[in-house]
Amino acid sequence: MPQHHIRTAVQNRDAGLAKITALSWRAGAAGVAVAGLLTVALAHHPVAGTVPAGYRDDHGSILIPAQPPSQAPGSGQVTSGAS
Amino acid sequence: MTTSAIARDAFEVFGTTAVLLVSRPGAIGQARSIADRLLAEVDLACSRFRPDSELSRLNAAGGEPTPVSATFADLLAVALRAARLTGGDVDPTCGRALTDLGYDRDFADLLAAGDAPPRLTGPVGPVPGWTRVRLDRGGRRVRLEHGAQLDLGATAKARAADKCAEQIADRADCGVLVSLGGDVAVAGQPPEDGWRIRVTDDHAAPEWAAGQTVTISSGGLATSSTSVRTWRLGGRTVHHIIDPSTGEPARSCWRTVSVAAGTCTDANTASTAAIVRGAAALDWLHAAGLPARLVRHDGTAETTAGWPYDDPGDAA
Repeated sequence: MPQHHIRTAVQNRDAGLAKITALSWRAGAAGVAVAGLLTVALAHHPVAGTVPAGYRDDHGSILIPAQPPSQAPGSGQVTSGAS
Repeated sequence: MTTSAIARDAFEVFGTTAVLLVSRPGAIGQARSIADRLLAEVDLACSRFRPDSELSRLNAAGGEPTPVSATFADLLAVALRAARLTGGDVDPTCGRALTDLGYDRDFADLLAAGDAPPRLTGPVGPVPGWTRVRLDRGGRRVRLEHGAQLDLGATAKARAADKCAEQIADRADCGVLVSLGGDVAVAGQPPEDGWRIRVTDDHAAPEWAAGQTVTISSGGLATSSTSVRTWRLGGRTVHHIIDPSTGEPARSCWRTVSVAAGTCTDANTASTAAIVRGAAALDWLHAAGLPARLVRHDGTAETTAGWPYDDPGDAA
């Protein structure tokens, strides 16, 4: 193989490696950035196990009952009044 | 299922009366154990009258961030949600207003003290407001901006009733009604005709007291009144429902408001807000679809959103 062909091949190889290296760095940097963004975003959410048990804060309004109370005769089993 | 299969237990807690009803009589002991444990947790978290409670420590923290338990975080989150959903009419930062009114000790001790001179000679002014409370739920830390003092009484008792009912139904596998001072939560399979509740001014009144008997099968029912938990201060009668816009006891056209909702917590939130809102509460409850019974000082009543017709002769 002529000498100048060898030089060209080496130059092409080095240029290709440089591109791959640059792409790898960009991909790595992008990954780090995305991971950082996810960390920041998820940091605002409660960690599993620290959410108050049973509490559902997704209700944007006072929950209406499944059905309204019905009239009943006589006395009650309990009394609802202020205390 | 018939009412004859229902077992009952009653005991004193939070300075009021608790009642447990279960549809499987053999479960009453387990139900009581569950309730005792939960109510002890709530008392230790948010009693205003215990110096060792988390609430007392937070109120004394001078604006410093304070670590709190999961129980306290839950109760505070519920209180802040109530404030948000009512536009601040139910506000947890009314602690100082209640203290200024003399309500700084167990209610029985307050009554025993008799008429006391007012602590403030000038106007009280609005409460600091719920937006002064910073709750970091993930980190379980709370910061009160300087001057804000919490009282979770409006919602904590109702939340406790909901949690007791939910856990008893799950663990004891039965239908259950929990009443904490008249804040009623039910869970599990109800009796065939539902749970019968006498709605009246005072939770301590007998089951046949003037009022109305209704049934519910799920969710909760709560009653707020300006005629109960009253005391004398400076020659006038005051009560415990604070209007956050004035820091004074609410001057409502309603003597008593009862609301049914998807949970006891939400029922209590709405009944308390209705007292504070006065006449405007009727439209608000209608629009929200919340069944309610509102009783004026003269005993006449209004109902909303499917609450059964109230015979005026029965509404005294």
